[in-house]
Amino acid sequence: MRRQRLKKEGKISIPTASMSDIAFLLLIFFMVSTVFRKEIGLKVTLPEARATERIVKTRNIAHVYIDKNGRISVDDVIVQPKDVTLRFKLKLAENPAIIAHVKADKRVKYNYVDKVLEALREAKALRVVFATDYKR
Amino acid sequence: MAILPERKLPEEAEIPTASMADIAFLLIIFFMLTTVFTRDKGLKIVLPEKTQQVVKIKGERIIKISINDRGEIFLGEEPITLADLKVRVQQRIKDYKQAHGGKDPLVVIRTNVDAPYERMIDVFDVIKQIPEARAVSLASIRTGGGG
Repeated sequence: MRRQRLKKEGKISIPTASMSDIAFLLLIFFMVSTVFRKEIGLKVTLPEARATERIVKTRNIAHVYIDKNGRISVDDVIVQPKDVTLRFKLKLAENPAIIAHVKADKRVKYNYVDKVLEALREAKALRVVFATDYKR
Repeated sequence: MAILPERKLPEEAEIPTASMADIAFLLIIFFMLTTVFTRDKGLKIVLPEKTQQVVKIKGERIIKISINDRGEIFLGEEPITLADLKVRVQQRIKDYKQAHGGKDPLVVIRTNVDAPYERMIDVFDVIKQIPEARAVSLASIRTGGGG
């Protein structure tokens, strides 16, 4: 065997025994580092806009859902507009750089959105993003 | 072992692990393809702070866009289509800036409370696409009461 290799450069093989370890390590790494979104929210159809921008600072985002019937949801709780103020005051105390992400259904009457905006102003949560989808 | 022809000893059992890497990579690829990234995106705005004193702004500085309860759009008092809005507002901003030494006018979008939200986003989207429109404000109109 040894003599053969010296003479003829016999079979060369890449050691693949640890390949599965590497692959599983990658798998476990991705599993551990993935953060799942806990909030379920409400079912909304977002409006579309060409000027849609991405929000870079995802850690500072707090969602407000408004569905087509005008129900408002913050932290998976159906709330009244005045409760939005309270909840956002608490959020702001925790993180002053909070951005309110208003996910409102496109068919909802503007009245509901306006009430939420008023509530956010009341809570001094002035940085607001209207959730939209990209328009093609 | 091979020398002794004894067949009584059990052979060494082995689990074939050669394809383990294939399985693991297949899993990785499967998860990569099925993962949907939900990135938060939208139209940004900074709301004005609630203050006790009323800030007075000259009427001529305001470019007023109104949306009525049926979703029709008005620039000032005249009806306008969404397609024309961009050019017209751009022109108004340009004119105001020239007349007032580069001062930014204030674009106000007044939406009727019964108008669909989508309409307001359509208008806001158009305004967002104008780089000169730096000051944008949102207001609401209650039917019969004015805003």
